[in-house]
Amino acid sequence: MKMKRKEAPAEIPTSSMADIAFLLIIFFMVTAVFSATKGLDFKLPSNDDNNQPAESEEAVFIKVAADGSVSVDCQPMELNGILDYLEPKLTRDAEKPVILYTDPYASYQSMISVYDVLATPKADDPAWGWKVKNISVPTQTEIQDYIDIFGFNPFEAQCDGA
Amino acid sequence: MADIAFLLIIFFMVTTVHELDRTDLNLPLSVMREEAEKGAAIVAMAEEDGQYEYHFSNGEDTSHLVGGPEDIYLEASVLTAADPKKQFIFKADGTARFEKVDELLDNLRKADVTRVILLSQQATTDSGGGQP
Repeated sequence: MKMKRKEAPAEIPTSSMADIAFLLIIFFMVTAVFSATKGLDFKLPSNDDNNQPAESEEAVFIKVAADGSVSVDCQPMELNGILDYLEPKLTRDAEKPVILYTDPYASYQSMISVYDVLATPKADDPAWGWKVKNISVPTQTEIQDYIDIFGFNPFEAQCDGA
Repeated sequence: MADIAFLLIIFFMVTTVHELDRTDLNLPLSVMREEAEKGAAIVAMAEEDGQYEYHFSNGEDTSHLVGGPEDIYLEASVLTAADPKKQFIFKADGTARFEKVDELLDNLRKADVTRVILLSQQATTDSGGGQP
């Protein structure tokens, strides 16, 4: 007698699919990183010989000392007082340069804190119709150029005798 | 359950980004933060035992260790020669000495870099960083 073989219905085995799915979830959860790509917009001066450096006598001079203390035009000042000091000056002349000189031994955070104050527009205050447009952060090469010309660091000597 | 599982897989696949630089840094705090462009080159400076080490990524490949600011200058020069408007992301510890930060920024300036994002963490008004 001829036996008829019973054929199993063809189907895709899905019993292990949940295991694979959860394995993939765990893999992506572990490898996922929330990439930090936000920070302060900083414009470096173009490396051009015709680029005119900001003249210190007509600029507002902000100095960050090695201990992180801040002085504006040689007057010690708290961070929250800087914009109030700048407002009348920049209302008269919106392009007035603000020189931010940081002591080489100061921390990066000290410089960032002051730069943050200068860069943050008060968008929530409609009466605040100005912002600091012209921030100049002298680099070592620029300072060295000044030293070569004057024989001393004019940014360190800025407040001597003030 | 399988639907939810696959939904989660697709979510993670779409949102996962390949971070080009994984240098572990305690970034400075700032209130003002702007998003860097996609494909921006990355310059990272880390301090370990008083020694500074530098990492560089061209914005496409994973960052690699470089010898010092002079090497950053060379690598940045190549990128700015191809694209003068190339944006650079600068990463450094908030506790780093400004002298070292300035040295690196000066080398970027010499390499004709003009657009830099100083990477920071979000500061709140009472966090001690940024504006008081």
